[in-house]
Amino acid sequence: MTFNEQELVKGCKQRNRIAQKQLYDVFGGKLFAICLRYTKNRADAEDVLQDAFIKIYENIDSFRADSPLEYWLRSVVVNTALNHLRQQKYLKELDDIDVHHNGLSDREFTLGNFQMQQLMEMIRELPPGCQTIFNLYAIEGYQHNEIAQMLGISEGTSKSQYSRARTLLQQKLNKEKRFDDGSVQHKQF
Amino acid sequence: MMDPSNINNFEDQWRKALQEASEAPPPSVWEGIEARLDKEQEKVVPMWWQSPKVWYAAASIVALLLVGGGVWLSDIKTNDKPQVAASTKPAGVSESHDNEATEKAASANESLNTEKLATASEPQTASVKPGQQQPSESKIGIAATSRGNAVGKSGNAFAETKNPEAERQDVAVAVRVQKPAADKESVNEVINTSSTSIGNAQPAEISVEKVAGNSYAAALADQNQTISAQLLASLPYNDLDVYVQKRHIFFRPQIEIDEPVKEKKPKEYYAGLGVMPASFNPDVQLKEAPMAFSAQSVSQRRATTGSSEARASYAVQTQGGVRLSKHWSVETGISYLRGNSAYEGGGYVLNAYSNLSSNVLENALAGLTTSANSPAADKAAGFNNGALYIDVAKKVSNNYQYLQLPVQAGFTLNPDKKFSYSVLGGMMANFFLVNELESASGEIIRTTASDDIYRGMNWAATTGLRLNYKLSSNWAANLTGSYQKAVSSGFKSNQSLDSHPYLYGVSWSVRYSF
Repeated sequence: MTFNEQELVKGCKQRNRIAQKQLYDVFGGKLFAICLRYTKNRADAEDVLQDAFIKIYENIDSFRADSPLEYWLRSVVVNTALNHLRQQKYLKELDDIDVHHNGLSDREFTLGNFQMQQLMEMIRELPPGCQTIFNLYAIEGYQHNEIAQMLGISEGTSKSQYSRARTLLQQKLNKEKRFDDGSVQHKQF
Repeated sequence: MMDPSNINNFEDQWRKALQEASEAPPPSVWEGIEARLDKEQEKVVPMWWQSPKVWYAAASIVALLLVGGGVWLSDIKTNDKPQVAASTKPAGVSESHDNEATEKAASANESLNTEKLATASEPQTASVKPGQQQPSESKIGIAATSRGNAVGKSGNAFAETKNPEAERQDVAVAVRVQKPAADKESVNEVINTSSTSIGNAQPAEISVEKVAGNSYAAALADQNQTISAQLLASLPYNDLDVYVQKRHIFFRPQIEIDEPVKEKKPKEYYAGLGVMPASFNPDVQLKEAPMAFSAQSVSQRRATTGSSEARASYAVQTQGGVRLSKHWSVETGISYLRGNSAYEGGGYVLNAYSNLSSNVLENALAGLTTSANSPAADKAAGFNNGALYIDVAKKVSNNYQYLQLPVQAGFTLNPDKKFSYSVLGGMMANFFLVNELESASGEIIRTTASDDIYRGMNWAATTGLRLNYKLSSNWAANLTGSYQKAVSSGFKSNQSLDSHPYLYGVSWSVRYSF
């Protein structure tokens, strides 16, 4: 898709509705996928996306062109999702948990046989804390100390929650593999 | 970023698989966003420029500024005006002595600056000094020239520094105020020159003249000195002109509002219907005793002493009028008047042979008639011989019917209020219809207009006072007191009979305006 990012931002800063719609059309799909990863159902994801875009349009003046627009949009969406989770009390009880190492090494790991929707579904089936921390650490690339700061938890909790998320996901992957080697019929979500 | 050697790393695998993931959101999401954006704009946009509170605040601030500015302006003007008036007087005196050069130089000045006046006085002394060396010139002459020079110099000084595009009103003020100041300077110069000239041992006569001239000039200087000081102190004129212009714009809408109000004056017509109980008196007078009575020598005195007496009468009135202006109106109408009265006195004559009797009024009527068919004509004959006069004061009824056509002008006070009062005045044409006179024998002698005894029409003056009570926008109730007095006699011939009927009445009527 060809678009002039600067013109788009300028139009949004002028509260131009056409520019706002174009921004939505360009980034809406990717941002909606993020929302889906952080929430438990589509309705919540839609709410988060809506809130996020309102925030984006309202705070577009604070966007500086020194960083890519998509990064900024992603961060707004992630923050909105975290706020949403806080309101839903999903992040209230995040404790250290025992980590059971699954024994799988990174080298052996591949997701090549799974479709994107399958993977997203696996993430959404994680317990809320694990889901969030996994998203933040594995996908968004935050460090544990950053995550601890963002969520108001200890770094250790972040690590243990992530470990648990990883174990659970690994189990899911193994289960799916066993069930149908590579051609798993994924659930609709 | 992504290191190929670590591509199989757990996190990297997930990141690779999901970071670029995209799924189209349902259309309802954008609809929701758009709805919320519209709502936000509605909330934000009216915040300041559509909010009535902001406008009220702005209007009140503007009003305060205007009022405050007006008060300040009036203060300044009242403070300045007497000073300007005071300054013009000595300026006028000095102008009479000034030559043409002074006028030109003064008009060239475009602002007032005390510093520049002070510097202007420098060359002034220089210009005076040559005058000093000519002892033949009178002191006043020196004063005049020095003054002219002084102003001229100062004028030149300003001409050099001033912007020629300065405002005209500033010019006027500067000229007016500067003159006395220039006078003062010049007078001071005169004093200086006189002192130096005395030092130069000039002839005594000239020095005396100079002293005299100085005293006059010094007196002028004393008068001007205090006034000039005040003038120099207050000169904020530029701002004032701006405020005056603003006021003109401010008052313009009010003038525009007044005009349509004045135009909106439709002619108002009205029609009325009323009943007037009245007291009608025909005021019939016998100038001389009729023939039958005059024959009776005894009765001659008494026959002419009868008088008319009013009885209850009434009129039914219709009227139509038009309101010409706020206060003035003209009205006319048609009324039927039933005027009842009685006549008393004069006794009656009795024919001893025929038993015919006649009272004085019917006998007089009989004498007036020219028609043989008149009912009164029967009575004319037969009383000359052997008639007997019976001196009994008897009241006989004497009733009239008229058709009235008034034309009246009215002046109304409080015209648009609930209660209004009108003063009426005009003329009334009374068309005679019938007269019914009771005879001595008790019969009714009916005389109509065709009998040619009474005038078909006689004029009466009428005046009245009307109270008008507005019942609704169209309906009104009137109470009118009126007085009518005939200006000509009701009888065609007034040789022996005269009648000037008059009437007092109070009319109750309703009026409809449209």
